[in-house]
Amino acid sequence: MKWIPNFNSSNSLRVIFVIAVFILLFLSSIAYKHNQDLNESSKLVMHTYEINIQLERLMSAIKDAETGQRGYIITRNGRFLAPYLYSRDKVNASFVTLKKLTADNPIQQQNLENLFKLIIQRFVSFENCLKYSEPKTYDKRKLDNYMFSGRIQMENIRFQVDKMNDIEKKYLEKRLKIYDQEISLSPIFSISLFLTALTFILMAYRQISRDFERLKIFNKKLLISSGLMAESETIGKFSTWQWDLDSNKIDYSDNQFRLLGVEPNSFIPEKESFLEFVHPDDKDVVQASMQGIIERKNLPFVYYKIVRPDHEIRHFKSTGKLLTDQQGSKILLGINFDITDEHLLNIELQERNKELEKSNKELASFNHVASHDLQEPLRKIQTFISRVSDADKAVMSDSAREYLSKIESSAKRMRVLIDDLLLFSRTNTTKKEFIKSNLNELLENAESELTEIIQEKKAVITTSKLPKLEVIPYQIEQLFINLIGNSLKYSQLGRIPEIVIESEKVLSADYPDILEQTIKKFHKITFKDNGMGFDPQFKETIFILFQRLHSKTDYPGTGIGLAICKKIVENHKGFILADSDPGKGSIFTVFLPD
Amino acid sequence: MQKNALYILLADDDEDDRLFFKDAFEEIKIQNNVDFVHDGMQLMDHLNNPDNKLPDILFLDLNMPKKTGKECLIEIKKTERLKNIIIAIYSTSSSEEDIEDTFIQGANIYIKKPSDFNTLKKIINEVVTVNWHYHTSGLNRDNFLLRLK
Repeated sequence: MKWIPNFNSSNSLRVIFVIAVFILLFLSSIAYKHNQDLNESSKLVMHTYEINIQLERLMSAIKDAETGQRGYIITRNGRFLAPYLYSRDKVNASFVTLKKLTADNPIQQQNLENLFKLIIQRFVSFENCLKYSEPKTYDKRKLDNYMFSGRIQMENIRFQVDKMNDIEKKYLEKRLKIYDQEISLSPIFSISLFLTALTFILMAYRQISRDFERLKIFNKKLLISSGLMAESETIGKFSTWQWDLDSNKIDYSDNQFRLLGVEPNSFIPEKESFLEFVHPDDKDVVQASMQGIIERKNLPFVYYKIVRPDHEIRHFKSTGKLLTDQQGSKILLGINFDITDEHLLNIELQERNKELEKSNKELASFNHVASHDLQEPLRKIQTFISRVSDADKAVMSDSAREYLSKIESSAKRMRVLIDDLLLFSRTNTTKKEFIKSNLNELLENAESELTEIIQEKKAVITTSKLPKLEVIPYQIEQLFINLIGNSLKYSQLGRIPEIVIESEKVLSADYPDILEQTIKKFHKITFKDNGMGFDPQFKETIFILFQRLHSKTDYPGTGIGLAICKKIVENHKGFILADSDPGKGSIFTVFLPD
Repeated sequence: MQKNALYILLADDDEDDRLFFKDAFEEIKIQNNVDFVHDGMQLMDHLNNPDNKLPDILFLDLNMPKKTGKECLIEIKKTERLKNIIIAIYSTSSSEEDIEDTFIQGANIYIKKPSDFNTLKKIINEVVTVNWHYHTSGLNRDNFLLRLK
């Protein structure tokens, strides 16, 4: 289904967001690890400094002992011996601490062991120094020896302590270097990761804003089109409704409510609510078609009536289609047309049609009356007159004979009238079969039909080449008979009748007032005679039924001949004109479509 | 009634026409025997009665009460015993439709009732003296309608 715009960027957006979240999680785990490493290294530093401090403390305790001992040796005051006496404990305490601190390092343990031995030796030297400095046991040489060896031992201890400090320092440096390496690798990595995540998020943002723009445009279009739709529904007197078959929700357009004669949204449409408006006569039809729409997927036009709340009956025409969208949900779309005006017009037309049919039938029955019922009594009158034999007439009075002859001529005239009238009405009612015919042949037929009068009047008929046209042959023949017959009948006394028949092709555009403009080309056929002519003021009236310009005693006729000509030409979508110069002749012009 | 006299039957509801017809036959002095029926029903009853002799020529008016001439024509042509009767349509109407219809249904000739007694005599004379076997074999639309010169 193409009727719903596609917004499937949400899936790619989701992917982008998931990737960004993973990157961020990864980044935070790296930061956590960094933190841990930092902690570790600061602990290490602390550890090294603690060892350093304890070693220094150890050193200062020994130095205190040395200083105290010297003071005592010089002064012999027992007070100076106090630091020396305490120093042993201090050394022991520091030692225990150091032992603990270096528990994880066997080299330092070994160094500590060595240091301990050196310190013990030092203390032994102290003891000996004290011993040989006592006045009772004084021995200057031994004292000097021990004092000097104590001095060397002190230097050894210092060396050992420095050595241990160096090891710790180096160890620290090594460890820190490793950490530094680890840490120095990650910032570039994490920054690049961060930038990647940022790019993803920016991409997502771009997509979102693009979608948003598209949505805005669609929304605007939607608003415009729904506005236009609502307007066109009002103008066109139609309405739409949608029935979502999955959610069973039905939506009416505003005009649907209006067509039903209620305010827009005045009720919530349900499956049955439309049927409530349908005229009781049509409920079954509408219900069946609603069912049919679901089964057949579309609905042929259904015609029915609805009853508005104010009891006004409106005529509706409806159609519908089952639509399936991309998600496969089915929506029934329906369109209702209010065709009340057309319906009423239709009824009026039908009535007029019926009237026309009726009058046509009347015309046909008139035809029958004229052809049969009217002729029958007339025929009998004529037959009975003919049965009055000459012998009968001989015994009649003169006036009776004259009356009888007048009855006879009147009956004859009536016969001619009826025949002509019949011919006129048949021109209209008989079937009109158009056949491609050579007009020259039809003219020849007409002339042979008129042979008697042509010979009698010694008439000269000049004919140019006539076209071949799609015509009703017998009618065109009749037209030629009537026109030529007319010219012969109204010929000038003492002048040989001359009739010139000519034909040419003309454009309808050249005769905008008289010719049908949808037909481009016409044939103009003229019948020119040298007869008595007529007053041009009658050039239109002579084509009217029963119009005569002469008294029937001078020129017998019914006034139907030219009316028949006009009818025949009209049957061919053509036109006939007459003009005359009285005393010189007349000209009849017939236009027939190419 | 002589042996070789023609037996003519006229089906016409019009009394005057029957009178003209009878008088005309009497005046042309052809040995014949003319019978009349007044409507279509009577005509069919007469023809279908096996006791009755079949006419040599049937003059059939189209516009008759109870059963029209056209209905009778169709019925006659459908009936095996009757279908060979020579049928002359004898009508006031000269409409193309009537002429066409009766020709198709198998009538032999179409006569428009004349308005002159002498013409009627000529027509009857023409019809009864025609060699029908010859005429029927050359029958076409042009000579179906009887025209007197």
